[in-house]
Amino acid sequence: MTTMNAPTDSLEVQLFGGFRQFIPNGTLLVEPGEAKTVADLRRQVERAFGDDENALMLLKASAFATDRRVLDDESERLPSDEPLSVLPPVCGG
Amino acid sequence: MSTTNMHLAVTDRPLDGNSALEFCSAPGHGAVDLFIGRVRDFNQGRSVVGVSYDLHAALCRNVFAEIAAEALDRWGRETRLWLTHRSGRLDVGEASVVAAASSRHRDEAFKACRYLVEQMKHRAPIWKQEHYVDGDSEWVKGHALCGHG
Repeated sequence: MTTMNAPTDSLEVQLFGGFRQFIPNGTLLVEPGEAKTVADLRRQVERAFGDDENALMLLKASAFATDRRVLDDESERLPSDEPLSVLPPVCGG
Repeated sequence: MSTTNMHLAVTDRPLDGNSALEFCSAPGHGAVDLFIGRVRDFNQGRSVVGVSYDLHAALCRNVFAEIAAEALDRWGRETRLWLTHRSGRLDVGEASVVAAASSRHRDEAFKACRYLVEQMKHRAPIWKQEHYVDGDSEWVKGHALCGHG
């Protein structure tokens, strides 16, 4: 299980589904650093998971989202003042 | 979210197919199609005793609204739609999803209802963790989301 202390000015990212086996409360705090794009944030989240290979594998298959829509990793700038989430592959029903 | 022709919701309370049938009803609608998805007791060779559903409620409601709008575009604005999904732990036999569609004729109702279910399964931010008879639990593998539009 990944555990972390809250860094100053940390960015809160909500986790769902299978990520709860790594972080049961579903909240990951990452250093925003110079993160300006969704791809930057993905790298920050990768760093936060360290060498947890199972978490990193799940992250690779996951998308980033706001409360309104799924974000495009390739080109999109990081939205400001919107809650951010990491969404693993979905399976409703 | 509920309008005159669509009711979309996520809830931790038991789902009710009768409410969907009552909502998907109009004097000119000769067809209504109802789908109820239930927790089954066996999956991938393992005996299942229950399923826990995790979901991103705000995004889920938005995705449901997108899917419903697409269904109305395809099968007509007068189609009536219902889509609700459970969250939390469910026992075998409990309903996890209820979808319904009514329209003038059966073809549109069948297709619209199926569209709601299939698109929900592929696009809605919902996850399930199966609980097995041996005490083990596992998150079910699903469909990767994509933000390319």
